[in-house]
Amino acid sequence: MLAKFSLRDILAGGIFVLAGAYFALEALNYEVGTPFRMGPGFMPLLLGTVLALLGIGVAASGWEKPDREKPLPPSWRGIVLIVGVIVFFGATIRGLGFVPVVFIAAFASAMASRLNSPLFAGLLAVGLTVLCTAIFVIGLGMTVPWFGPWLGQ
Amino acid sequence: MDIIGFLGLGFSVALDPINILYCFIGVLLGTLVGVLPGIGPTATIAMLLPITFSLSPAAALIMLAGIYYGAQYGGSTTAILINLPGESSSAVTAIDGYQMAKKGRAGHALATAALGSFFAGTVGTLLLAFFAPPLARAALNFGAPEYFALIVLGLLVSIALAHGSILKALAMIVLGLLLGMVGQDIYTGTPRFTFGVRELYSGLNFVSVAVGIFGVAEILRNLENEKGREVMVKSVSNLWLGKEEFKRIIAPVIRGTALGSVLGILPGGGHILASFASYSAEKRLSKNPEEFGHGAIEGVAGPESANNAAAQTSFIPLMTLGIPAHPVMALMVGAFILQGITPGPNVINDQPALFWGIIASMWIGNLLLVMLNLPLIGLWVKMLTIPYRALFPAIVLFACIGCYSINQNVFDIYAIGFFGILGYVLIRLGCEPAPLLLGFVLGPLLEEHLRRAMIISRGDPMIFLERPISATLLGLALLAVLIAILPSIRKKRKEVFVDED
Amino acid sequence: MKKTIATAFIATLALSGTAFAQTYPTKPITVVVPFTAGGPTDTVARLVAEVMSGDLGQQVVVQNVGGAGGTLGAGQVATAPNDGYTLLLHHIGMSTAPTLYRSLPYDPLTDFATIGLITSVPMTLVARKDFEPTTLEELLAYIKTNGENVTYAHAGIGSASQLCGMLLMESTETIMTTVPYQGAGPAMTDIIGGQIDMICDQTTNTTTQIQAGEVKAYAVTSPERLANLPDVPTAKESGLDLEIGVWHGLYAPAGTDPAIIERLETSLQAALTNETVIARFAELGTAPVTAEEATPAALTEMLTSQIELWRGVIEAAGVYAE
Repeated sequence: MLAKFSLRDILAGGIFVLAGAYFALEALNYEVGTPFRMGPGFMPLLLGTVLALLGIGVAASGWEKPDREKPLPPSWRGIVLIVGVIVFFGATIRGLGFVPVVFIAAFASAMASRLNSPLFAGLLAVGLTVLCTAIFVIGLGMTVPWFGPWLGQ
Repeated sequence: MDIIGFLGLGFSVALDPINILYCFIGVLLGTLVGVLPGIGPTATIAMLLPITFSLSPAAALIMLAGIYYGAQYGGSTTAILINLPGESSSAVTAIDGYQMAKKGRAGHALATAALGSFFAGTVGTLLLAFFAPPLARAALNFGAPEYFALIVLGLLVSIALAHGSILKALAMIVLGLLLGMVGQDIYTGTPRFTFGVRELYSGLNFVSVAVGIFGVAEILRNLENEKGREVMVKSVSNLWLGKEEFKRIIAPVIRGTALGSVLGILPGGGHILASFASYSAEKRLSKNPEEFGHGAIEGVAGPESANNAAAQTSFIPLMTLGIPAHPVMALMVGAFILQGITPGPNVINDQPALFWGIIASMWIGNLLLVMLNLPLIGLWVKMLTIPYRALFPAIVLFACIGCYSINQNVFDIYAIGFFGILGYVLIRLGCEPAPLLLGFVLGPLLEEHLRRAMIISRGDPMIFLERPISATLLGLALLAVLIAILPSIRKKRKEVFVDED
Repeated sequence: MKKTIATAFIATLALSGTAFAQTYPTKPITVVVPFTAGGPTDTVARLVAEVMSGDLGQQVVVQNVGGAGGTLGAGQVATAPNDGYTLLLHHIGMSTAPTLYRSLPYDPLTDFATIGLITSVPMTLVARKDFEPTTLEELLAYIKTNGENVTYAHAGIGSASQLCGMLLMESTETIMTTVPYQGAGPAMTDIIGGQIDMICDQTTNTTTQIQAGEVKAYAVTSPERLANLPDVPTAKESGLDLEIGVWHGLYAPAGTDPAIIERLETSLQAALTNETVIARFAELGTAPVTAEEATPAALTEMLTSQIELWRGVIEAAGVYAE
């Protein structure tokens, strides 16, 4: 039964329905207003509803059109490391300062690839730290401490 | 003095060796900064503003203008090479440019972008020189209803951005529109969809969304199967365009330039539509629309020209009326004031040497850019021979640093991560990111102009039909929908009879 | 988390105290401007920072932290280490935020140490050039009869033009249809294009347009006529009680060493007598404040009285940002 469906279309449609429902429901918390004085909730409510309807349409369009190819499995290691690096960067840039954050972030994101050895990642991290510091902090005069307050500077 | 005399005056200023030097520094910096993902012209100009204190007004403004259009140039380089657009305009270039690069035609894509931009820049500068004041006047006829109609038209026409399911593309546009509404409502100040996070009050940062949904998502895809798939083609065929390619890009370049020039003049956000509109037009007019999205050279030539033409003509409202069309132009206003010149209708009369000098320098700047960029193509393409496993950590870092440098707002960085995952999931599910990005940049404008038009008309929707420009634009929008639907209805009919499988 | 770090800092700095102040500054100072680069406040900040750099012997760097009507940048400085290396340059919005934002994460009076006033930019009441009334008296009468059919543009929630509009409607007991914009630039565009009737905005944005005849000017909101707009009467001359200036002040986080504040005060006063600053300010249609006003006491007084004033006006108008 399910084999007849395109799983991709169902999932995509599901995401759109969920997102549309979220925006529309959340918009109800804001003043909707009248067409003359549209409140902050007017457009999100309208567009959220449209998105949810489109989502249903997307899911329905997958009926009897099963996916032809099986997608490659995602690289969980890559996802965790790359997203982890981005969150880490945001969480520590003010506290740790530019140099340590860039070094750690470069090393960790290099490790996201199975082809990189820790040694290569380390060398790459050193190189990128020097390069980024030279371009952004020295060259463009970005206002960020080299070493942040958490390190006792 | 007539126009030739004024241009002579302008060139005498622009050809001053010192000014040529600063023009060169400007376009060079702009190119380099444009190439760095994440950092756009706004951040660069803001950071370099203090340096221009010590320069003469002409040199300072020539340099800053150079950074702006230089960055437009550089931005397309990263979009083509590593699928990382730094601005809404280069998001369109990334669609086909990156596919060309993947097929070993990065050189062709870059050369097309450079030549198209040069042509567009030249035309834009000429328009600025000959018709700036009347064009700026004409643009003032655009009020809220006209902008609303224009954006509706832009959104409907750009369904062509998708090369897959139209339904999915529509859903992505609407999702983008909604994401664009995150932040404080400009009419009431109500924070929307912010989860109480004050950092989100000014909305999601475009660069975060673009870098996440294009760049990071692409990296995550490439990490899926590192051994089985060659991410980048190492051997790059000839760099220069052949006769055949030249023939293919001429018409798109001219059309893109025309579209971009017109849209760039509109101070209320027309420039954003330029590259999207040009892409849609090229796809509609092409004999092989199925090539689009898989490396069609027209998909690079048109939007790049449109983008650069708009970049030049968006100086028109600024230089003739003192009206900034977008954040970069607002920064330019600041730069003018810091130099002791308040931009306004009087600059053209009070400071003719400066006014015409800047215009002349724009053409020289474009010439310098093409001279700088054509030889650089070889170098950029060489960059692709850097193993991807060493390149992607640099992309991630540049993206984070660049986004952070714009507003020192860490939420802009978290947004990269969020949109990286969202983009990755949606792309895996067969949805394309470009329509989402278009919706994202147009969402706030759509709502702003619709609500403003309704306030001004005191709730009477007839305002959209009573005003000739907005009525015409809405008529065109309706036509675009009909044209889009008709072929698919026809196709559906065929499908009933012919089973695909 | 941030608070703890900040507290830890206050503790360490208290120990090093005065000895530290004698050598201050030893590294670049950051002045946070809570708006995007290129706006009038940013311009004021850059002009002053440039001159103060020379006086202090260290670079004074302007950093734009825009968003949430200026409350984001101000909030960031409120929790920044009070070592004199992070300052805030804010305008009149400092005094309206406590009323406009009902959940403001900082208190302008207790979370900041004042350094001094910088300038007060006058405002002008202007309209599209084909707007019927020709004098302020006619304008007021026109607004009275046409009421909500008159459209008034402003540059967004908490902007100076919104405040001026509120004040105008309060003092004339009228109601116009207000149309918010994203910043002063787009609002002026629509005034020049005749899409909308009027606006009251800073001279920074209006002077060149008035001089070029692109818009019609009715009044300036300063106590006296302005040198570069001699033909425009003051509101008072026409019998309208509408005095408002967009005043700018320099702040440090609360608890900053008094010796550091004093050093910054001297430096600010020096900057305000600098010829370039005076000349550039004049082009913006304004002038630096006197040395007596560029003091912590004067700024505190201004801030306290303005918070009171705007609480009344904003509550009467019933307009809030959240």
